[in-house]
Amino acid sequence: MTPMFLLMAAGSLAVPAVALWALRWAVGHGEFQMPERAALLPFDEAEPVGEATDIILNQRTSKR
Amino acid sequence: MSAPSKTLSALMPGDVPAGDGRRALLAEIDASCRVPVLFFVVSGLAWLLLGTLLALVASIKLHHPGFLASWEFLTFGRVRPAHLNTVIYGWASQTGIGVTLWLMCRLCRVPFVAPGLATVAAVFWNLGLTVGTAGILAGDSTSIEWLEMPRYATPILFVSYAMIAVWSVITFRLRTERHLYVSQWYLLAALLWFPWLYATAQIMLVMEPVRGTVQAAVNWWFAHNVLGLWFTPIGLGAIYYFIPKVIGRPIHSYYLSVLGFWSLALFYNWNGLHHLIGGPLPAWMITVSIVASVMMLVPVTVVAINHHFTMWGHFSKLWHSPTLRFVVLGAVCYTLTSLQGIANSLRSYSEVVHFTHHTIAHAHLGVYGFFTMVMFGSLYYVLPRITCREWPCLGLVSVHFWACTLGLFLYVVPLSVGGFLQGLAMNDASVPFLKVVEGTLPWLKLRTCAGLLLGLGHLAFVANVAWMLARVFGPYRKPVVALLTGQETPVVVGK
Repeated sequence: MTPMFLLMAAGSLAVPAVALWALRWAVGHGEFQMPERAALLPFDEAEPVGEATDIILNQRTSKR
Repeated sequence: MSAPSKTLSALMPGDVPAGDGRRALLAEIDASCRVPVLFFVVSGLAWLLLGTLLALVASIKLHHPGFLASWEFLTFGRVRPAHLNTVIYGWASQTGIGVTLWLMCRLCRVPFVAPGLATVAAVFWNLGLTVGTAGILAGDSTSIEWLEMPRYATPILFVSYAMIAVWSVITFRLRTERHLYVSQWYLLAALLWFPWLYATAQIMLVMEPVRGTVQAAVNWWFAHNVLGLWFTPIGLGAIYYFIPKVIGRPIHSYYLSVLGFWSLALFYNWNGLHHLIGGPLPAWMITVSIVASVMMLVPVTVVAINHHFTMWGHFSKLWHSPTLRFVVLGAVCYTLTSLQGIANSLRSYSEVVHFTHHTIAHAHLGVYGFFTMVMFGSLYYVLPRITCREWPCLGLVSVHFWACTLGLFLYVVPLSVGGFLQGLAMNDASVPFLKVVEGTLPWLKLRTCAGLLLGLGHLAFVANVAWMLARVFGPYRKPVVALLTGQETPVVVGK
C-alpha cells in the first residue's frame, strides 16, 4: 500500500463527499427554490428576455 | 490577482446596476477575458489543424498502408495516438477551458480575476502538450489509450490544470450573483471531475501500474469518463447558456435541467466498463455498468426535452445565428450519441459492434458531433464580444458550417453501417478475416473524404478567426455594429 494509492483512495472518497456537500449546500441556500428566477440568470437589463443576441446571418431574407 | 477597475469598483459588490451600468459591466467582463480566453482558443485552433492533419494521414494509411511509410514517426501506431491527444487535450480541452472561463465570468458577474494566472496556465498546458505529442511521435507512447503521452509530459499538464482550478475557485468566491445557474453546476463539476479522473488514471496506469485486467478496467473507466464527466458537462453547460441567450427565451424547465445534472453525476461514472463486455472481468462489474448505461436515459431524455421545447417556435432563428446552428446541431448529436452509446452497452448489440469501426463512428459523433460543434457555436458568440469585432466574412461561416455538417454525416453514417456489417462478418466463422478487412475498404475511403470536408471547414473557421484578430491587432479597425451596444447605428471603436 503505497502513499500514491492512499492518495488515490482518499480522492475517490473525497469526490462523492464533495458531491453530497454540494447537494446539501444547494438545498440550504435555496438553489432548488424559485426556478423561475434561476432560469432568468443569463439575462439582465442589458440583454433582456425577448431579445435575440446573435442574429447576423441572412439578414436581408428576414426583412422581406 | 488584479484589482477590479474603477468602473467595476463602483458596481461591486452586490450592486445590481441597471441599463448602462449593466451594459458597462458586461463590456468590462468581456474585455477582461480577452487575453487568457484568446490564448486558450487560438492555441486550441492550432492544435485542431495539426490534429486534423494527423487524422487525415492516419485515415489514408488505413486504405493505402504504404502512404508516408518510410518515416517511422509517421507510422500508424504513432500518428493515430498523436491525433487523439492533440484533438482531445489540444483542441477540445483548451477550447472547453476558454469557453468555461468566459461563461464563469459572465454568470458570476465578475470581470476576469488573475488573468496572468490563467495565461501562465495556458502556456504550461501548451508546453506539456508539445512535449507529449513530440514524445508520442518519437516512439515514447505509453500505449494506454487516451493516456499515450509519456510520463515526463503529464506533470506539466497537471500544474497547468491546478492553476485553472485555483482560478475557478477564486472567481466563484468573488461572484456578485449569489444564485447559481445550471451551467455553473455543470462547469464547476467538470473542473472537479477532470483532475480526479486524470490523477487516478495516471497513478494506476502510468506511475504505479496495477496488474492484469484491472488495467483495462481503469483504462475504460478513465477514457469513457473523459467524455462523460469532462467534455459532456462543459458542452451541456454551454448549451444551457447559449440557446436561451441567443433566442432570448429562458430554458423550458429549470427543474428538468437540475434533474439532468444530478442524474448525470449519479449514473455516468459507472458506464465505462460496458466497453469490456466479453472480457475477463467479474460479470457483476459489467452488469452494473450496463445498468448505469441504460439509466443514462434519464439525463439524456431530460436534456433532449428541455432543449427541444426551449427551441420550440424559434427554429427559424437557426437561419440567422451561427451560434444557434452549431449549438443546436451539437445538442441533437448529444442525444443521438447517447442513445447509440446506450445501445452499444447492451450485451447482444455489443457482441456485433465491439472491435469494429462502429465504435469509432460513435466516438466521433460524441467528441465531434456533440462537443466540437457546441464549441464552434460558443466561439461564434464569445469571440466577437471579447475582441469587439464582428465576424469579417459571413461566407466563411457558411462554408464552415456546411463542410463540417456534411463531413460529420459522411463520417458517422458510413462508418456506423460499415462497422455493423464488419461485426456481423467477424462473428461468422465461415468468412476469412482478410475478406472482412477488404469489406471495410469502401467505408474507410469515405472516411478520408469526410476528413477532407472537415478539414475544409476547419480552415474556413481558422481563416475567419485570423482575419478577425488581424483587425483587432492590426492598424485597420472596423466599426462595431450592434453586437455589444444594442444600437442600430454603427459605433466607432478604436484606440
